[in-house]
Amino acid sequence: MTRTLCPSRALGLPVAALVLIVLPRIVSNSFAIDIFVRVLLFAFIGVAWNLMGGYAKQLSLGHAAFFGLGAYTSTILLIRFGVSPWIGIVAGGVVAMLASLPIGTLCFRLRGPYFAIATIGTAQTLMLLFLKFRNFAWGAEGTTIPYRGNSPMMMQFDAKAAYYYIALIMLAIGLAITYWIERCWVGYYLVAVGEDQDAAEAVGVNVPRIKRDIYLISAFLTGLAGTFYVQYIYFIDPNTAFNFNVSVQAALVSIVGGVGTLWGPVVGTILLEPTSALVQSWLGGAHGGVQLTLYAVILMAVIMWRPTGVLGVLTGAYERIVRPAPSGVAGTATAGPKGPLDG
Amino acid sequence: MGELLVVRGLSKRFGGLRAVQDLGFSVREGQIVALIGPNGAGKTTSFNLITGYYRPDAGSILAFGHELVGLRPYDVCARGLARTFQVARPFGKMTVLANVMTGAFLRDKKLAVARRRARDAIEFVGLSAKESTLACDLTTMDQRRLEMARALATEPRLLLLDEAMAGLNPAEIDQAVALVDQLSRRGLTIVIVEHVMRAIMAIAQHIVVLDHGQKIAEGSPKEIAAHPEVIRAYLGSGYSHA
Amino acid sequence: MAGVVAQAVVNGLLIGGIYALVSIGVTLIFGVVKIVNFAQGEFVMIGMYISFWLASRFGLDPVASLVVSMPALFVAGVLLQKFLIRRVLGLGDMPQIFLTFALSLLLMNLALLLFTANYRTVQTSYTLSAIHIGPLYVGVAKLIAFVLAMLLSGALEVFLRATDLGKAMRASAQNREVAMLMGVNPDHVFGVAMGLSLALAGAAGSLLMPFYPVYPGVGQVFVLMAFVAVVLGTLGNVTGALIAGLMMGMAESLGVQFVGADSGLIVVFAMLLLTLALRPSGLFGARTR
Repeated sequence: MTRTLCPSRALGLPVAALVLIVLPRIVSNSFAIDIFVRVLLFAFIGVAWNLMGGYAKQLSLGHAAFFGLGAYTSTILLIRFGVSPWIGIVAGGVVAMLASLPIGTLCFRLRGPYFAIATIGTAQTLMLLFLKFRNFAWGAEGTTIPYRGNSPMMMQFDAKAAYYYIALIMLAIGLAITYWIERCWVGYYLVAVGEDQDAAEAVGVNVPRIKRDIYLISAFLTGLAGTFYVQYIYFIDPNTAFNFNVSVQAALVSIVGGVGTLWGPVVGTILLEPTSALVQSWLGGAHGGVQLTLYAVILMAVIMWRPTGVLGVLTGAYERIVRPAPSGVAGTATAGPKGPLDG
Repeated sequence: MGELLVVRGLSKRFGGLRAVQDLGFSVREGQIVALIGPNGAGKTTSFNLITGYYRPDAGSILAFGHELVGLRPYDVCARGLARTFQVARPFGKMTVLANVMTGAFLRDKKLAVARRRARDAIEFVGLSAKESTLACDLTTMDQRRLEMARALATEPRLLLLDEAMAGLNPAEIDQAVALVDQLSRRGLTIVIVEHVMRAIMAIAQHIVVLDHGQKIAEGSPKEIAAHPEVIRAYLGSGYSHA
Repeated sequence: MAGVVAQAVVNGLLIGGIYALVSIGVTLIFGVVKIVNFAQGEFVMIGMYISFWLASRFGLDPVASLVVSMPALFVAGVLLQKFLIRRVLGLGDMPQIFLTFALSLLLMNLALLLFTANYRTVQTSYTLSAIHIGPLYVGVAKLIAFVLAMLLSGALEVFLRATDLGKAMRASAQNREVAMLMGVNPDHVFGVAMGLSLALAGAAGSLLMPFYPVYPGVGQVFVLMAFVAVVLGTLGNVTGALIAGLMMGMAESLGVQFVGADSGLIVVFAMLLLTLALRPSGLFGARTR
């Protein structure tokens, strides 16, 4: 179905990387950099979701649970114990990862849509719990991160570009992890689970363990994103941390860009995030439902006409134009190790 | 030559339906055993019980001396029992090679090793030319070959084939029979569920006949062909005096 | 003490009737069309807005507006099946989940844009009145809602068991291929199933209006209850959904009474978790292994 666009990628990747690295130096508009940061962050969350939802087809709509747990862990460590967010971000990831164990145990008892509902339930439950926890988690009002000016050791920067680079590194890590998973046995097992769990079990795939393990990774990465976001906007409350929109976006960017592909979430975010940011700045807060209406329409359109997402469309076009003959010979166009979806 | 698979007292109900009742049979190493019976006799259910997809209400399943009851399908496969499905269940979005490699990873997680073993299995079933084809683009016959290659890649000692010959024309049946025969010569023990008499008579050394979940006969092909109970089960009591 | 419990149980039972209606709608679609309608709550909301509009424009009693909301939503269901759902059948989980999910988002946010987030209510002559049955205090509006909800559920059960179309639906739910071989047109059957399901959602909405406010997000609470009830009552089992819906209502009511005013959702999730942990296939489901 989806084959990586190898020749163009071989050329494009170093060029794109170079552009990304120098981008903040060229563009100094604060609003633009903010969009870039959001694109990088949400692409990263999308990549984290994609490991579970794209490859293994475990469609979670509750990833906000891990986002929020990461955010709250680092914030509590920072404000109550004075621990630097650099440690807090890892701690947050670990807490999210550990939470995925009981959550997975319960939710994986259901399949398909009911799994999705159960995950929504867990994120909502966490939001409710944190709304009640006044004692050590500030309840419904939330809290702000105390402003210390430029203090890199506490993950606070005056220059927005710094956040840009952190987000860029996070995304690079997420993509690297996905790349390596795609190309080793884990990737094959994930796609097998996503295609047909029972058939996978018949050939020796320990399906429960694979699901549990990929959930751990996905949750950990999403937790990291949560901490970053808190540090970026200097504020946290249960509604922001466990916001349903985060869960929706995590899935949405992957679906629109191309589920189960390396670059899908990135492509999806590049298409969606700037659009929604622009729409929001035009209409302001007056029209509360616009962003989600837009997302909903896009999602429906993608599902009905091109479920493989943008990358699916592009790859299809590429296959038809550049490689007209569907060859059965391995190793023609691609160099380097192949993943389960490469052939 | 020991008994590789020993099934004893196997029973399973689904609500009011007794799918399998007190089933017992054994398979010796290197044998080819056929499980036959009219539709609904409980053949596929027996496979599902043996491979861990269902949990039996009663009975024991010993394979290579170890109890299989209570194991999940992936553990059963790791023990050395592989199965194919009645309707082929390939991983559609993966290529033939990737499908079979998924099976090969059971024994060795290294990419190059798995790829080599997968290619061997693919060659054995005759799908080498279609290695890079997506499984969902294969013909039904090729999907069945893929199913078998994938099962073989898990390096089983016992292979369970569920109606592998269904819907094939005589030439294709002969090809499939030849494959099964080759597997047997390589030392694989095979249990097949089948309807196609031509295939059964050609390769089965021992036949177990089920009807309504119970074993009604067991023996060599010749004995079974003449067995009155078997004839009655398939054709009705009007024919049992034939 | 016993009086307090009894009152809570009665209150819960009454609202449980509405939960049951919504749950039956969800389980009917799941059983026949084999998809989960994430947007079911939004159709309850639409039913509510229809009744609200008819009440404020023409003074029509919301219960009477059933004759408008139910057919309107029936038609909506048939159209939904024909133009949207049919396209994603057989494509796997992801398109099905995200299609109805996107629909839910769309409807909710369109409502937000069109009607704003303000709560709207309808005051009827009986909105605040209650009758006394023994020591118990029963709200009239809720009682009417409960009785009608039970009547509608009963009518559906009769339809499913006694009419040809109903049997065709049950057959399709059990085994689509064989049903098709028997001459059942799946498209037709699916359309009717969705129509009925959405009609029940609309009915729930109309019945709620006398005592419940409508706002764009109102559907979310009901659909959540419904999903848990559907799992509890075993997926696809209409009677199970009915009973589970009533149980959810009582559980929520008891939770509010004894745990705290805003603990309704916590009770819901607790019941979901309990069901998952102890009986994942629901009260009426067989153990599958």
